[in-house]
Amino acid sequence: MANKKEETASFVIRFTQKIFQSEAGEPQVQWRGNIRHVQGGEEKRFSEFDSAVEFIREKLADLTLVAMEDKTPEEQKGILAKSFDMWKKMALTAPQMVIETIKDPKKQIEQVQTQLTQAGENLTQKIEDTISQRLPIDEWRASSKSDYKNLVGLIEKLAKDMEDLNKKVDKLSKKK
Amino acid sequence: MGNFQVWRDGTQVSTKEWGRDKTVQLFQFLLTARHRRALHKEQIADRIWEDLDTIDQTFKVALHGINKVLEPDRKSRTEPRYIQRQGITYQLNLKDIWLDVAAVEGLVRIGNEALLTHPSDAIIAYHKALNLYEGTYLPNRLYEDWSSAERERIQLLILNTYISLGELLLNDNPVETIRLAQQALLLDATWEEAYRLQMEAYLLKGNRPMAIKTFRQCEEVLAKEFGIAPLPETKALLKKIVERK
Repeated sequence: MANKKEETASFVIRFTQKIFQSEAGEPQVQWRGNIRHVQGGEEKRFSEFDSAVEFIREKLADLTLVAMEDKTPEEQKGILAKSFDMWKKMALTAPQMVIETIKDPKKQIEQVQTQLTQAGENLTQKIEDTISQRLPIDEWRASSKSDYKNLVGLIEKLAKDMEDLNKKVDKLSKKK
Repeated sequence: MGNFQVWRDGTQVSTKEWGRDKTVQLFQFLLTARHRRALHKEQIADRIWEDLDTIDQTFKVALHGINKVLEPDRKSRTEPRYIQRQGITYQLNLKDIWLDVAAVEGLVRIGNEALLTHPSDAIIAYHKALNLYEGTYLPNRLYEDWSSAERERIQLLILNTYISLGELLLNDNPVETIRLAQQALLLDATWEEAYRLQMEAYLLKGNRPMAIKTFRQCEEVLAKEFGIAPLPETKALLKKIVERK
């Protein structure tokens, strides 16, 4: 098994926002950034987020290559292709997410909340699917409020029957 | 900040006393995580020794090591004074520990609060804070990610303090302002405020050539590192310097 540290790449990103007026008097905003790969210590400055994405991609590719040293060339090729695919997806959405956050933080938070809710629902569905695979659904289900109500009703009825029964026993005892 | 040193009742703890590096590492992690609530043993060990299989034993030995270093005369079966344990969680007793980073933060906070109403108090507080700064936070853990966020936070705190103090001293002591701006640039060579502050200080001293040279340095660094030009504010300052003959 690979050392866990060889499976981890951490990055510290600093953004500095500059708001100023252009020579024509138009309000302008500029972002300056600095990204550092913690484990390797290398740093890169950027004013376009794509440069930071490229920096992360390079470091992750290095990480994948190190982790594949003991694999066959075919396996290496497959893993690397998958790794790049995953990174491509992330690299396409991450800059957009940053841009949208800068433009409209509230909207972005709402989107994240929606994603979290969806993830939660998916997880719940997965759990339900797993449970239903282990136990037939007609043999097991979670107790609901109506189950509880029925149970309370049954106990009350039972208590009433007991009370009636006690009264009858008392009556019979007195007759004797 | 700077070299990691621990002092116990006025005496510096030697490297030999610390023994294993994992003991130092655990103590440094607890110092770094001091703002967080008590942490579980597993949470701590997972952050600093993620590649270890013998976490329980390593944690136990390292914790024993810290307690032995900090309280060599503690009687057995008595509670440790500095590392507090509650169930399976651990945290530092910050009431009894003086920490340079915490002292700097406190002084900067005092400075910031006094900045507008009592600038002379702010100057004293900022000076004291910067005098305590002896370098990067835990430089021997530069490549360990658990220390990165704290290092970044402190660097920004120090950077902004250099600028705030430099601005406060600009009219009365431009030479000191120049020194402070240069210190800020040692931390981040692209910090444009520091160049601007230095230009203003040189201008006040009547040293126009150095003020212009500082602008050129700024222009060069920003072009090289970001591929951008200085802000209009910096260019306007240059114009003011050039026009003042």
